[in-house]
Amino acid sequence: MAEAALAALELVKRFGGVTATDRVSLELLPGEIHALIGPNGAGKTTLVNLLSGELVPEAGTIRLAGRDITRTPAHRRRHLGLARSFQITSIFPGFSALDNVALAVQALAGSSFRFWRPAAREPELVEPAQAALVRVGLAEKASVQAGALSHGERRQLEVAMALVGRPSVILLDEPMAGMSPDESRRMVELIGELRGHYALLLVEHDMDAVFRLADRITVLVYGRVVASGAPAAIRADPEVRKAYLGEGD
Amino acid sequence: MPPLHELPLRAKLVLGGLVLLLLLAPLFAVLTGDAYLLRLAQRIVIYGLAAAALDLVLGVAGLVSFGHGAFLGLGAYVVGIAFTHGFEGSTFLGLEPSQDLLVLAPLAMLVAALFAFSTGLICLRTRGVAFIMITLAFAQMLFFFFVSLERYNGDDGVALWSRNDLAGTSLAADETWFYLLALACLLLFLLLGLRALDARFGRVLRAAKENERRMLTLGFAVQRYRLAAFVLSGAVTGLAGVLLANQSYFVSPAAMSWQSSGHLIVMVVLGGLGTLIGPVLGAAAFLLLEDLTPPLMDLLVPGFGQHWKLLLGPILIGVALLARRGLLGLLLGTGRG
Repeated sequence: MAEAALAALELVKRFGGVTATDRVSLELLPGEIHALIGPNGAGKTTLVNLLSGELVPEAGTIRLAGRDITRTPAHRRRHLGLARSFQITSIFPGFSALDNVALAVQALAGSSFRFWRPAAREPELVEPAQAALVRVGLAEKASVQAGALSHGERRQLEVAMALVGRPSVILLDEPMAGMSPDESRRMVELIGELRGHYALLLVEHDMDAVFRLADRITVLVYGRVVASGAPAAIRADPEVRKAYLGEGD
Repeated sequence: MPPLHELPLRAKLVLGGLVLLLLLAPLFAVLTGDAYLLRLAQRIVIYGLAAAALDLVLGVAGLVSFGHGAFLGLGAYVVGIAFTHGFEGSTFLGLEPSQDLLVLAPLAMLVAALFAFSTGLICLRTRGVAFIMITLAFAQMLFFFFVSLERYNGDDGVALWSRNDLAGTSLAADETWFYLLALACLLLFLLLGLRALDARFGRVLRAAKENERRMLTLGFAVQRYRLAAFVLSGAVTGLAGVLLANQSYFVSPAAMSWQSSGHLIVMVVLGGLGTLIGPVLGAAAFLLLEDLTPPLMDLLVPGFGQHWKLLLGPILIGVALLARRGLLGLLLGTGRG
C-alpha cells in the first residue's frame, strides 16, 4: 500500500470530562476522497482541528507523508502541505474575493516583511489567486467584497483558498453546509474534479454527496470510530445503520 | 480606506488641501506675527506623528494599546537625560552625551523599540481587554520608575534650557525651521506607513484583525508581524517624544501617564481608525479644542474653562456615532455608516 498522505494514530482529545476524540486512527491515501461522517456531536470538527493543528491531542500521533507533525503549530502545517476549509465560513469579509485568495498565496510566497510594493500589483500573488478562482468557478466575482458574496460563493471561496500552493492534503469541513441544492451540485462536481490531485478528507452531512464522492468512509460516533471502509460496506454495516443512517437522513 | 491612488478626486483634493495648509502654517504665522499659532502647529504635527504611529497598532492591527505614552515619554527622556548631563558637564555611564538630534533621535527610537520589543513579547500573548490592561501596566511601571527617579528630578521633570542641535545648528534658532523639520518627519512616516498598508506587511495586519484564526491556518506566523508593528509604532512614537521635548523645553513623567496614553487613543479614534492620516486630524482637533474651548467657556462662566473636556465627551460620542472613519471619513465622505 502506498504511504499515507496523512495518518492519525490513536488520537485522544478530552474537554473536561468529555472525550471528544477517543483513540481515533485514520489514514488518507494520496489522491483519495475519504469521507468522515457521524451524527452531530460525534467529534468530527474536533478531529479536523486536531489534524489541522488548532488543537493539540492528549495522546496519539499525526503524520503528514510520514513526518510527525503532532506538535507542529497550525501555521507551519500549511507550509508542509496541509490545508483546510471551515464548517462556518471563515474568510476576510473586508477584502475582495481575489484578495482573499491572494492572502492565501502570500502566506506561502516567502516573507511578508515587505513594506513598499502594493501587494495588489505583485503578479506572483495575483496570478495564482486568479487561477484558483477560475478553478472553483468564481472568476467573475474576483473584485466583489467577500462579505457581499452569497453563502454558496463564500464556500467556493473557502475551497479556492485551500487549493492555493498545491497542498498534498485538504481537510474540507462540511463544504456543502447551508447550500442550495444547485450550489451543492456544483460543489460535488468541484470536489469530484479534485480527486486524484489531492488527498481529501471530506466531513459532510449530505449522504448523497458522501456516497457519490467518497472512495472510503469512516464513521465516528461519540468520538470513536465505529466503522471504516468502502461505501458499499459502510452502507451495509448494521452498526452504522443503527447508530447513524437509521437516524432519518 | 482604499489605496491613495484609488481615492476619488474629491478625497485627493481634500488631502492635498490639508498638506498645503500644514505647509503654509508658518507663512500664516509670519504674516500675522503670531508666534502662538506656529507653536500650536508644531504640537499638532508632533502629536499627529505619535497618533499616526499608534494607529498602526490600534487601527490597522486592531490591538488597543493603552500604553503608548510610555514610548512618548522614553523618547523625551533621552533628550532630558542627555541635556541634564550636558548641562552639568557630567557623563552618563561613562559617556559624554551628545546634544545632536542626529544622535539622540536614532538613540531614542532604539530605546523605544527595545522597550516595545520586550514588553510586546509579553503583551501580544493576550487579546482584547487583557491587552489593554497589560500595555497600561507596563506604561504605569515606567511612569512610576521615572516619578521616583530623583537623579532626574522625579515627577518635577527636567526643564530644558535649550533645544538639541541639528548638524551644528540649534533647533531653537528658528521656530519655522523646527516646525518644518517635525512636519518632514510626519510626512515621511505617513508616506512610508500608507505604502506599507497596501504592501504585504499591511495586508497581514489588516487581515489578522478581521480573522486571526484563518490567518494561522493559511500559514501566517501572525504574532511576528504584530510584534514588528508594535516595535515600529513604539520607535516612531519615541521619535515624536524627542520632538515634543524639544518643542516644549520640558520633559516629565506626565508624558507616560495613562492620561497621556488616553489622549493619543482619543486622537486616533476622533480622526479615523486605521487611516494613519485621520489621527493627524484627530490630533489637530484635540489640541485646538484643548486650547480654544477653555477661554470660550471662561467667557461664558468664569472659572469653567478647566472643565473643557465636558465638551470633548459629546464631540467624541457624536463622531463615534456618525462617522465610522472619524473626522477623515466625514471630510472624504467615504466613511459614513
